Amino acid sequence: MPKMTGAYNDNDATDEMAEDTTNSSVEPAPDAHDSDTVNATPGAIENGSAMVNASDASAAGSGSGAISTSGSSTDPSLNAHVKHVRGAGAVSRADSRDSIHRRGTVRSGGGVRGVRQGVIWTIFAIVVVVAMIFVITFAKQQAPKVKPAGKPADTVTIGLKLAPTNLDIRNQSGSSLDQALIGNVYEGLVARSVDNKVVPAIAKSWVRTPDGKSYIFHLNDGMSFSNGDKLDASDVVWSIDELMRNGYQGADTLLNFKSITAVDERTVRLDLTAPYADLLWVLAGRPGLVLDKDGKVDMKTQALGSGPYTVAKYVPNSSLTLKANDRYWAATKPATQTIVLRYFSDDNAAVNALKSGAIQVLAPIDQRLVSPFKKDTDHYVVASGDDTDKYVLAMNCAGEKTSDRRVRQAIRYAINHRELIASRGGADKPLGGPIPSLDPGYEDLNDVYPYNPDKARELMRQAGYTPAHPLELRLTYANIYGTELGDQLRSQLKAVGIDLKVNVVEFSTWLQDVLKNHDYDLSLVDHNESHDFASWANPKYYYNYDNRDVQLLYGQAMVSLNDKDRDDYLRRAARRVSEDAPADWLFNYRITTAMEKGVVGFPLNLNQTLLPLSLVKYTPLV
Amino acid sequence: MRFLIRRLVSFAVALLGLSVVIFAALRILPGDVAVVMAGLNSPPGRVAQLRAEMGLNRPLPQQYIDWMAGLLTGDYGKSMLTGQSVTSMVVERASITFPLIIFGLLIASAVGLGLGVAASLATGNGVRTFFRVFGIVGGSIPALWGGLLLVLLFARGVGLIGLFPSQGFPQEGWGSPGAAFASLVLPALTVGLIDGASLMRYTRSALADVMHNGCMIEAMACGYTRAQALIHVGLRVIVPQLVSVAGLMFANMVTGVMVIENLFALPGVGSGLIADLGDRDLIAVQSELFMLAAFFLLVGLFVDVLHRVLDPRLRRSSEGRM
Repeated sequence: MPKMTGAYNDNDATDEMAEDTTNSSVEPAPDAHDSDTVNATPGAIENGSAMVNASDASAAGSGSGAISTSGSSTDPSLNAHVKHVRGAGAVSRADSRDSIHRRGTVRSGGGVRGVRQGVIWTIFAIVVVVAMIFVITFAKQQAPKVKPAGKPADTVTIGLKLAPTNLDIRNQSGSSLDQALIGNVYEGLVARSVDNKVVPAIAKSWVRTPDGKSYIFHLNDGMSFSNGDKLDASDVVWSIDELMRNGYQGADTLLNFKSITAVDERTVRLDLTAPYADLLWVLAGRPGLVLDKDGKVDMKTQALGSGPYTVAKYVPNSSLTLKANDRYWAATKPATQTIVLRYFSDDNAAVNALKSGAIQVLAPIDQRLVSPFKKDTDHYVVASGDDTDKYVLAMNCAGEKTSDRRVRQAIRYAINHRELIASRGGADKPLGGPIPSLDPGYEDLNDVYPYNPDKARELMRQAGYTPAHPLELRLTYANIYGTELGDQLRSQLKAVGIDLKVNVVEFSTWLQDVLKNHDYDLSLVDHNESHDFASWANPKYYYNYDNRDVQLLYGQAMVSLNDKDRDDYLRRAARRVSEDAPADWLFNYRITTAMEKGVVGFPLNLNQTLLPLSLVKYTPLV
Repeated sequence: MRFLIRRLVSFAVALLGLSVVIFAALRILPGDVAVVMAGLNSPPGRVAQLRAEMGLNRPLPQQYIDWMAGLLTGDYGKSMLTGQSVTSMVVERASITFPLIIFGLLIASAVGLGLGVAASLATGNGVRTFFRVFGIVGGSIPALWGGLLLVLLFARGVGLIGLFPSQGFPQEGWGSPGAAFASLVLPALTVGLIDGASLMRYTRSALADVMHNGCMIEAMACGYTRAQALIHVGLRVIVPQLVSVAGLMFANMVTGVMVIENLFALPGVGSGLIADLGDRDLIAVQSELFMLAAFFLLVGLFVDVLHRVLDPRLRRSSEGRM
């Protein structure tokens, strides 16, 4: 599955904003503005007005000269008046003291008295702030939570992280779109189950010819789209023809495609030029989606499918409201009438929403914010599910320094995966190779390069580097993954003689520099796609990994006629890739979901790419 | 009149210059919306195909001219990603941000002017101290942290006293005014209290300056008490300065409340702009930036004109020069 901007299920992916929040809520704040407080105290007023004048002046650049004119025109006359008034002795004592005090401190840059006062103010401010924090923390612990009794709710609101930028499932990449729409609004010829196997959907059964080159799909009876249009073989044929003709998202994964024809109203025949072991799985994703050939909707803002839900309202980057489809053809109707998907870019905001009951489910929840929900077992359920997210530390195989296999191997030996995972909350799994446990061909490859800094140092020495003369490498990754991972890698690699320069960029910059232009030494990204081994068999991909054996093994896997052979070839290819060390797989991310106790039917596995909602039901606790 | 014309011409020139700067600056940014749309695993041809579809492979001057032609006819273009017209996107976001700012500014003025005057009038050492502390502490709290504190105190379900919702804007928007208003209370309070503290410091210092102005002395000589003179005469004198401060504050807030919008999960102008920029949706971003810049300049223009209305001295001085 291709994906897009920030389409990464990173629960740790704090943008800098979120991180700021955590820090300031944990540590009493004044540290940051200590100096501000001290300086500001005596001269606060002058500073204040100076600032205003400055901004006036900058505004004057755009034409508002009058503002500063008025400031300067009043000043001299003011001073004149002050002198005049003093001479006449007509000023009240408080006033003159005030003006002398102000002038004194400002002119002398803060005398002894000013300094002492500054210190007092600082202490005072700190005390106030600390007191506030204490009051809030202690009072919070006693705040009881009372829930009303009730029957199943009509509306369930689900908090998610990455929002789809538009609803155009044919053109816009991104797993958040698959997550929201596939299986809910759109249905495919076949579908994926929560353990990542192919199950029937619009086709109730299928057979493959013995040569593996043709598939016959038998469709369900009496199907219709949510606008009432009939769904039959002609829609299936039209959808896949359009996909191939226009090269929509995923068209390139439908390999060996020859033709698709309607045998009759309820039977479709798909022909291939050569067997393709992943065909059914590919059809469970975007390429297999069946759209209404007569439907006329703006694909970017609306969605017309045959699934259990329809799109009621879509606010880009904010929320998507789904309503049950009254015309849904299957026997099982959706359990909840309205489901609202809300997107939170700020992790703290998301957690607050769950606490306040604005959402009933939050997936993913930030590992560092999860503990209050874990403790409160009376009201919340927290669970982690398996996923196919691979945090790939790619090492440019064609790079000037990283083309040396010893350097790449040293990096793999030098990384302490257990430590990385522990610091992220411990939910993730170590992953020694390119295939995660939910995908075919998985094998535990963690023993290929176990953590061994001595071996790493030895390899680096052979390559000509020591901690005294370190190798300088640049790590480029997107800011959605937070800065911690880069910092940890830097310190782990420093121990073996690598000086890592961490370059955290915007995701679109990463796409341009690394993915498109292959301009990097090391890169870190979360590849969440399932069945994506093909990228290791593609020498033009940004890994620049070119191994003939791997390409042949993968090719053989894809023409296998049974799953056992396919899995066997993939396993061998994956081991080979891992041994060549074109990348290190930092961990296999596992998604953590927190929900209120009355929620049932919410899938835990894979729920960032595949989120069937028709079973989700929420009964508020008694 | 001549002033107004001169001012309008400089406004137009500034806008034109800005449009060039915005357009050029965005093209220098690394990244490409087509790459963003195509995602990680698409074939290379796909990006080129998308670029052609979106007209990104045309020469830059032509893209700029097309954009400007659209602007002149009031067509701000369509977002490449969402397909919505930029105008409707901005209007939708502004319907959250502007009420938030206005609400916040009202709170800020109430707090700032009220306490500023009170601080100038206060004679007791303790009271003066209190005001000074308020000004400093309030003015130096980072908005994000202040907002979090308010959430912990007043947010429904999270806070000590669960009064207001702290997350998001109601689905119906202003269709349910009560809920919409309630969702803006905490964010507006955050903005209002923090900006109110700076406004208070400003009011206080401006009033202190004006305290020794001749008109104040005259007013007192005519029998006003100090308080009366300050409120009836002093305030009147500093109003032009306050207007420019408030005007700039208002303009700054349009993007400045972005942090607040993120914290309270409000889909407003600032957070929308950041999201679009992250996606390299350049047509949307450049039109949004242009609108913001135009708005900023308009506020400046308005403040300038208002200034002359409020301050007779300015009018006289420029008439004299003529």
